[in-house]
Amino acid sequence: MRIGRRSVLEGFAAGSSVTILGTGTILGSGLGSRAFAQAAGPAEASQIDVAKAKAEGKVVLYTSLDTKIVDAVIAPFKEKYGINVEYFRGGASDVASKVLAEADAGRAEVDMVDASDLAALLLMKDRKLLKPFKSDASGAIAANLRDPDGTWITDRLTQAVIQYNTREFGANPPKSWADLGGSPWKGRLVFFSSATGDGAPRIYTLAKHLGWDLVKALAATKPLRVQSPQVLTQVLERGERGAGFLQNDNIAWRSKEQGKPTDYLFPAEGVPTELGACGLLARSSRPHAAALFFEWWMSPQGQAILVEGGKYSSRTDVAPPTGSPPLSKLKLLTLDPVEYKKDRAKILDQMTAIFGGEWGS
Amino acid sequence: MRGALPAGGPFGVVPAPEARVRRFGLEGLVLGVAVILLLLLVGYPLLWLILAAFGLPPEFGIEYFVRVFTRSQNYDALINTLQLALGTGAVSVAIGVPLAWATARTDMRLRNVVHALVALSYITPPYLTALAYIILFGPDAGQFNRVLRMFIEVDSGPVNIFTMGGIIFVIGIHVFAFTYFLTYSALRSVDSSLEESAQILGTRRWRITLSVTLPLVAPAITGGALLAAIDSLALFGPQAIIGTPAQIVFLPTRIYATIGSYPPRWAEASALSLVLVVLTVIGLAVQRGYLERRSYVTVGGRGGRTTRISLGAWRWPLLLFCLAVVFFSAVAPIGVLVLTAFSKSWADPPSLSNFTLAHFATALFHDQVSVRSIVNSTKLATMAAAVALVIGASVAYLDLRTSVRGRRLLDYLAVLPLGLPGTVMAVGILLAFLRSPIPIYGTIWILLVAYVARFVPLATRSANATFRQVDASLEEAGRITGASWWVAVRRILFPLARPGLLVAFLLVFIPSFSELSATILLYGSGTETIAIAIYRLNDLGQIEVVSALAVFTIAVVLVLSALVNLLSNATSEPRAQV
Repeated sequence: MRIGRRSVLEGFAAGSSVTILGTGTILGSGLGSRAFAQAAGPAEASQIDVAKAKAEGKVVLYTSLDTKIVDAVIAPFKEKYGINVEYFRGGASDVASKVLAEADAGRAEVDMVDASDLAALLLMKDRKLLKPFKSDASGAIAANLRDPDGTWITDRLTQAVIQYNTREFGANPPKSWADLGGSPWKGRLVFFSSATGDGAPRIYTLAKHLGWDLVKALAATKPLRVQSPQVLTQVLERGERGAGFLQNDNIAWRSKEQGKPTDYLFPAEGVPTELGACGLLARSSRPHAAALFFEWWMSPQGQAILVEGGKYSSRTDVAPPTGSPPLSKLKLLTLDPVEYKKDRAKILDQMTAIFGGEWGS
Repeated sequence: MRGALPAGGPFGVVPAPEARVRRFGLEGLVLGVAVILLLLLVGYPLLWLILAAFGLPPEFGIEYFVRVFTRSQNYDALINTLQLALGTGAVSVAIGVPLAWATARTDMRLRNVVHALVALSYITPPYLTALAYIILFGPDAGQFNRVLRMFIEVDSGPVNIFTMGGIIFVIGIHVFAFTYFLTYSALRSVDSSLEESAQILGTRRWRITLSVTLPLVAPAITGGALLAAIDSLALFGPQAIIGTPAQIVFLPTRIYATIGSYPPRWAEASALSLVLVVLTVIGLAVQRGYLERRSYVTVGGRGGRTTRISLGAWRWPLLLFCLAVVFFSAVAPIGVLVLTAFSKSWADPPSLSNFTLAHFATALFHDQVSVRSIVNSTKLATMAAAVALVIGASVAYLDLRTSVRGRRLLDYLAVLPLGLPGTVMAVGILLAFLRSPIPIYGTIWILLVAYVARFVPLATRSANATFRQVDASLEEAGRITGASWWVAVRRILFPLARPGLLVAFLLVFIPSFSELSATILLYGSGTETIAIAIYRLNDLGQIEVVSALAVFTIAVVLVLSALVNLLSNATSEPRAQV
């Protein structure tokens, strides 16, 4: 019942042709596709009608991806099809709560959802908000990184790294999570989470695999909390703090690429990985346009744009970002999204108890 | 609670003139529609808020209230919110009263400048002041801190805005305007003869001020401090922008988080909202009590005259204090936003090589969300002001020119939202329209609903004051000579009331243009407003673009407020505040 680290790795190493232990995963908890009402529009990529898509005119996307990357993915699509993509960008919780609130309201504003919190998509699936769709990308994505019912598919993997200021630690950078837990780091650390708990999954992953004591030790250094990875990197670039824990790898990568005085590392003890996933909304009033964009988003070309922005693609046929190690070389720590979905309220309470402040619990 | 500060407090009710004739037809239709709109916009969401807090539907229960008080994060939020209110109330007295005394009763130089700058600190949206203070007093990169560190040997700070004290300060320098203006008005109308009597009896000047003047205006001071405290309870922006990184939770941010986290917890948010409403209502009731006690004071007598006190040697220290206050409340925050907006990097000191116009170009022309937000805010503020004006004018008309039963209640309903935090209004509206067959959730119309509901009191009060100045006999004369009701209203009332109605329009437009606390819960893709663009871009750390957008917003608000002032001075009714 979990997406194990090994299965993720094997998925990458072996591609999709190999069936892996643990792929049943979410299958067991999810509903069979028969349980879904017959959704309107295309059920698989080959059924997308481009003419209808153009007639539908636009796609509304809710996403938690960095706006710079989203803009870059949308531009060629808009140019090719003349279909506009309007998007709402917020943290994963913002995205999820908006989709769920709209569902409560019986509204169908959104056509496609993308969030770096798989548990959120599982919750949407439970509520029958997502539409089963057989993407052409399925063949290139490990079976355990997509829903057997086709309601969601992983599009990216975000690794939580240690980012640090090279002026402060050029000669002697931190090496491990355990390193950061000590008293010399008091007042020198920074981490991020929105007030709605977006930082919680990775902290929980770290605690699950390496122990709550480590997390408590990090909290004991009185780390500065900022609202997003984008602000975290700025705090380090300006030297306000020395090191950031559980930073998004793509943001750390970009900072380094841009020649800012930062560097980052994937600690050998293990790197929490966060699955970003996307899906189509069952009640979408623009099913063809949405599916067309979905397929572009998941295509090798679309995914290549994510990679240019520093993201690791879920596709086995798309290389990692320039200069980044292949995921198979990393010890990935994963989160069981089913468990996280179930225990989320409790976990957020724990975060509040350990770090204080607002976690949306 | 921005806009004109009414003499009677937000719930100040004015006595109705003698009963008037009841009419139907077109009159009934126009007024009826306005009334229905008001009930739908204000009454209906409130009803849902109360229902949801008690678990309805599906079943009645008080478990959510129990939950509110048994969970430490809610309890902490309540305590922090009360601390904040007490703190800002105290700050507002500590700086508002000396300033009011200096500008109202002394011959201090630059008192007009000080007065205008207090108004400026009040009209600057407080979330922008909060952003500015992060740039100024962020513990490490803060501009003022870096200057201070040249003299003081510390690694970080010495001032850290991300503390309870920091939040009280930032909100305090916004809400002290309430205390300032109420005290100022009271001091201006104190009859100096009492003070002179004391002086003849040989009492020293400072003792006169402390033991004669201040007690006379004490109810105004207390009333102002309470309004300041109530307003700070309800603010969302500074509490979120500074409170979240500071790890300090308040009720409005808590309410936002219970809905913004998934799945949205409507009932808990409603229960929290009602707690906030209760705090506000208690505060307003006490405040009203205090202001009514003004009756024993000599103020208000037309025959009294007020003399200015010659400060002598004290003029310089007092001026220095006043200038320091307005420097921190208006000059520094707005100044740093302007500097940042023109800087390539805000963390670098301002210089010619660091100068750029690129952020304004981004904010006003290039960034999709930012450009759309300006269009949306302009559209929304215009529509909200127009609708609120129609409703407000109708309610005022019913109140002053008819004897329709229930018009008192209607008047009350139209003023009620002044006491309701934006976050609370938003929760009510969400609940109401999530379940309503009117499909406006996620559209721009739900924001229109929120703005009209929130700011209709400003239009109602303003229209009321305006109609009061136009004698009903003029319209009646028109009716007697054969004009229909509509003709009488259009040809006689409206032309005479036009400047006042324009003020009413602007008083709604201005806060709608920069509204944050309700919008944050109600906006969707494509309906981002300026406040949302600022909030979201700040989340992504794009401080320079945020500053450009902030400077633009302040400029718009400032120009329109100046217009309000101009129009208000042109009419005989003094509406001095803005």
